[in-house]
Amino acid sequence: MPRIDAHLHVFTKASSEFPREISDVWPAEREEPVEKLLEEMEKHQIDQAVLVQMAGASIANHRYLLRCLKAYPNRFLGIGLVPEGHPNPTDHMAELTDNTGIIGFRFSTFGGPRDIFAKMDVREFDAYPIWKCAAERDYVLWLYPNAINAHLLPYLVQEFPQVRVVLNHLAVCPGKGKFSWDEYGRPQIQVTGYNLTMHTTYRLARFENVNVHLSGQYAFSQEEFPYKDLAGWHRGLLTGFGAKRLMWATDFPWILEEPGYGKLTTVIEELLPDLSEAELADIMGGNAKRILRFPDL
Amino acid sequence: MILPTPAEKKQWEEEGYLVFENAIQGEDLKRLQTAFDYWADAGKADWLDRVEAGEAAATFYDIPNPFEKDPIFIDIIDYPSYYGALMEFTDHDLILLAPQVRSVAPWPVSYTGWHPDVPQSNPLHIKVQIYVNDVEAGGGEFGFVPSSHKPDAGPYTRPMRQESMPGHKTFPGKAGTAIMFNSCGWHVSMDNHSDVPRKSIIIIYEKRTPGRIGPEQYAFISEYCQTPERRKLFSLDG
Repeated sequence: MPRIDAHLHVFTKASSEFPREISDVWPAEREEPVEKLLEEMEKHQIDQAVLVQMAGASIANHRYLLRCLKAYPNRFLGIGLVPEGHPNPTDHMAELTDNTGIIGFRFSTFGGPRDIFAKMDVREFDAYPIWKCAAERDYVLWLYPNAINAHLLPYLVQEFPQVRVVLNHLAVCPGKGKFSWDEYGRPQIQVTGYNLTMHTTYRLARFENVNVHLSGQYAFSQEEFPYKDLAGWHRGLLTGFGAKRLMWATDFPWILEEPGYGKLTTVIEELLPDLSEAELADIMGGNAKRILRFPDL
Repeated sequence: MILPTPAEKKQWEEEGYLVFENAIQGEDLKRLQTAFDYWADAGKADWLDRVEAGEAAATFYDIPNPFEKDPIFIDIIDYPSYYGALMEFTDHDLILLAPQVRSVAPWPVSYTGWHPDVPQSNPLHIKVQIYVNDVEAGGGEFGFVPSSHKPDAGPYTRPMRQESMPGHKTFPGKAGTAIMFNSCGWHVSMDNHSDVPRKSIIIIYEKRTPGRIGPEQYAFISEYCQTPERRKLFSLDG
């Protein structure tokens, strides 16, 4: 069974060849190239990975991701981005998935009513054409919903049961104003002690097409690795979704300095010590291979 | 105080629930509905802001501090139609834990799996759910597995679909219906396939144990608690 890191990012220096957005955390001269990732994967016996686009959603911004996918077609699959408010998102998605290795797209909003008690017509959501396109073209939807969007997701999942959905980072839905960067340059999401997502995204377990990443622990935990305060969240996800719909991921490169790539390859055993060998193998790669359809090595 | 009939006592012991149709009616029901709708509307914007900030659940809304909002929310705690049964079943040693004045979003947003609230080791724990609007079948009505409150019942597991729970019973009802149940029993809100939120009040009681609720908890409503019975119910005298 392959070991697959189901969510991470690579990027190179900003250039005319590989244009990308820049920020304090990923300035123009910073690079976290695919070769560096491959070294870590080699060292820790990780076979394949999902490369998730960051630092820009235009077609040009995807050039480095596309180059990596082309260079290592058996090692990586890709997840792209769609510019917010794009006038024709389905064309954008079609161009990026034309035999490139990009298998789906990442979103955090769905463009429906903010009022949770409003009457909902899913066909009026801004995201409806994107989900319809995903259903028709078999894209994977990679979701990290904002907290105020969580109530819209069940309507879309119910409408499109054929779309493979992967909820990122423990299915947490970050609240507005709760995002920051820590001293190691890692995203930090302030969450309540009482796990509110058990009322929203955890409930999506009843839909068979919804899967969840076990990743991003560093962003939510109040503790150092192995983030034991999140063991209950992991057990809850295991109980709800079962071992066949969970996928381990590291969120490289943010974790390189703390706790380090190698430690994160053991985080599932630390937080779910009662898993059988087969269940652990599924979470560490078997599920990603099956659900995302990774090629045989 | 209206005490339960022998038949009601038998049903409570054997099945773990009682239904009081028209428990609240007439002017009192109107007062309750008016207060509920007013305060639910008044607090909604703040609730949505807290949902957006990741500080509140997105599937239901509880009017915060209802006792501060309107005395009708206090009056229903010891409402005559079910108060006698509560007292009888707790050997006249009843305390209030908390009220939940709750609007629940329709399916598919809101979904609760079958569950008991407390283990058998807990002191007798009783909930009374009062429908504020009419709740029809498929409208988020209460569901309960009769006799599942007994120590030797089960084992039960949570099915993927609400209606698959073996032996369950559902309780659609008119506004003003009150359903009392032993919280050791397996229960749920059935899926609400209508397009309107289900409005209900869930009052949580327990048989008194020392120190469970401190006298400061409900001190702010002491002016409404002039009788010894009410002071005891709200733990105002320690």
